[in-house]
Amino acid sequence: MGDNHSFRSQPDEQPNQLRLLIMLHNIGATEAAKALTIVQISEWTRMDASELQGHLQKLIELGYAKHFRSEETDKYHLTTDGIRKVLSLYS
Amino acid sequence: MKVGTLTWEFPPRVVGGIARHCEGLAKALVQQKHDVHLFTLDFPGSPDYEEMDGIKVYRASTELGHPNFLTWVLLFNHFLSKRMADVTRKVDFDVMHVHDWLAAFSGISFKHYIKKPMVLTVHSTEVGRAQGLHSPDSFSINGIEWWSTYEANRVIVCSQSMKEEICNHFNIPEKKVDVIPNAIDATKYQTSADRGAVRQHYGVGWGEKLILCVGRLVPQKGIEYFIRAIPKIAKRYPEAKYIIVGEGWSRDILEAEAHASGHANKIKFTGFAPDKEVIELMTSADVLVVPSIYEPFGIVALEGMATGVPVVASNVGGLAEVIDHDKTGIFVYPRSPDSIAWGIDKVLSDPDHAKWLADNAKEKLHKAYSWEAVAMKTVEVYRKVVE
Repeated sequence: MGDNHSFRSQPDEQPNQLRLLIMLHNIGATEAAKALTIVQISEWTRMDASELQGHLQKLIELGYAKHFRSEETDKYHLTTDGIRKVLSLYS
Repeated sequence: MKVGTLTWEFPPRVVGGIARHCEGLAKALVQQKHDVHLFTLDFPGSPDYEEMDGIKVYRASTELGHPNFLTWVLLFNHFLSKRMADVTRKVDFDVMHVHDWLAAFSGISFKHYIKKPMVLTVHSTEVGRAQGLHSPDSFSINGIEWWSTYEANRVIVCSQSMKEEICNHFNIPEKKVDVIPNAIDATKYQTSADRGAVRQHYGVGWGEKLILCVGRLVPQKGIEYFIRAIPKIAKRYPEAKYIIVGEGWSRDILEAEAHASGHANKIKFTGFAPDKEVIELMTSADVLVVPSIYEPFGIVALEGMATGVPVVASNVGGLAEVIDHDKTGIFVYPRSPDSIAWGIDKVLSDPDHAKWLADNAKEKLHKAYSWEAVAMKTVEVYRKVVE
């Protein structure tokens, strides 16, 4: 694991799930009122929508993200555990 | 004095030790009749203004985002500054107190804007956290840290080892830096928790050992070396259970390490736990392991000492100043599973000696690490810059 001490070196080197989690935090999807749709997240992160869907599902399973349906659209935001996971990178 | 405190972490936005430090210090300053206005970031479910034990807490909402972390930091500093601007129209601060680089831009701006001195507490450094500077972001953070120490009228660190680290790394004159150790509110750690019930809740049976590790799940905490020590410990204590409390970006890696150890069924990752739960676990554990490879202070060791659990810790950084080997805890070599296993065995194999260590630690804690003392020393620093 020694190499991982430089883990946050470059966004492109980060595993996509964690990279997505960090981006969701930094673009402000940190609570229900600021939740974003797949299309919005895709625009911000430049990730493909189908790839995003898989990563988001995994983040939800791990308890780092939540989703709800609003006006027939799925919206996503981080949980407090997700926020803490991101902040641990920089604290 | 009227103190404007800036920190990106404040309860319930708790990531590491900074939130607890700011809370303890601010409460003690208020108790000593100082007027503390604390500016921090929002957190889901928290109000944008509240008074907590007399501390006036202002939470800034970051209305703009950006995928890049450093850009996001600049953006939140803008919103933090905006919040401070509102308050400084009504409050004539004597001093600004900034905690770490993350809130430094706001602090530096306000130092110049309101023409009042700025005190900076450096809780850790990028070069220490990341064990080197490996990327453009790291270099940039390192630069911001240097710039903050340069702009600050005085710098506070929590241990002599941190003082040496920042004086060497940032070329700061030693006379500009004050060492004020961390503290804890020892009364918070006196719990009437039913030890048996807590152990049962975590699946620790009668006669089994509970080996606890508490910390953010990041490489600097050295938890991987603790996990690698588990097969060695299990040879002597096959019934022992291992509980790892905390959240962090390297959790997946550590869970994989636990799986590879062959003892995953005995290792439990709880994730983030509130203080009450952590205190109950510490009170119920047979040993607390602090295997850090970089630790400017190590407040978790103090927390363990306060609950009366014997502490086994790496002999690094601030931990080396908090613990006296074989008097108030057991030191082990950092990055050494063999040494960690040895330290744990030393505690578990001799319960009388372990109790003696824990009793000594509690006594030292009460004498040396109170928030009241930390606040008094901090006010001395404030007075130096105000005068």
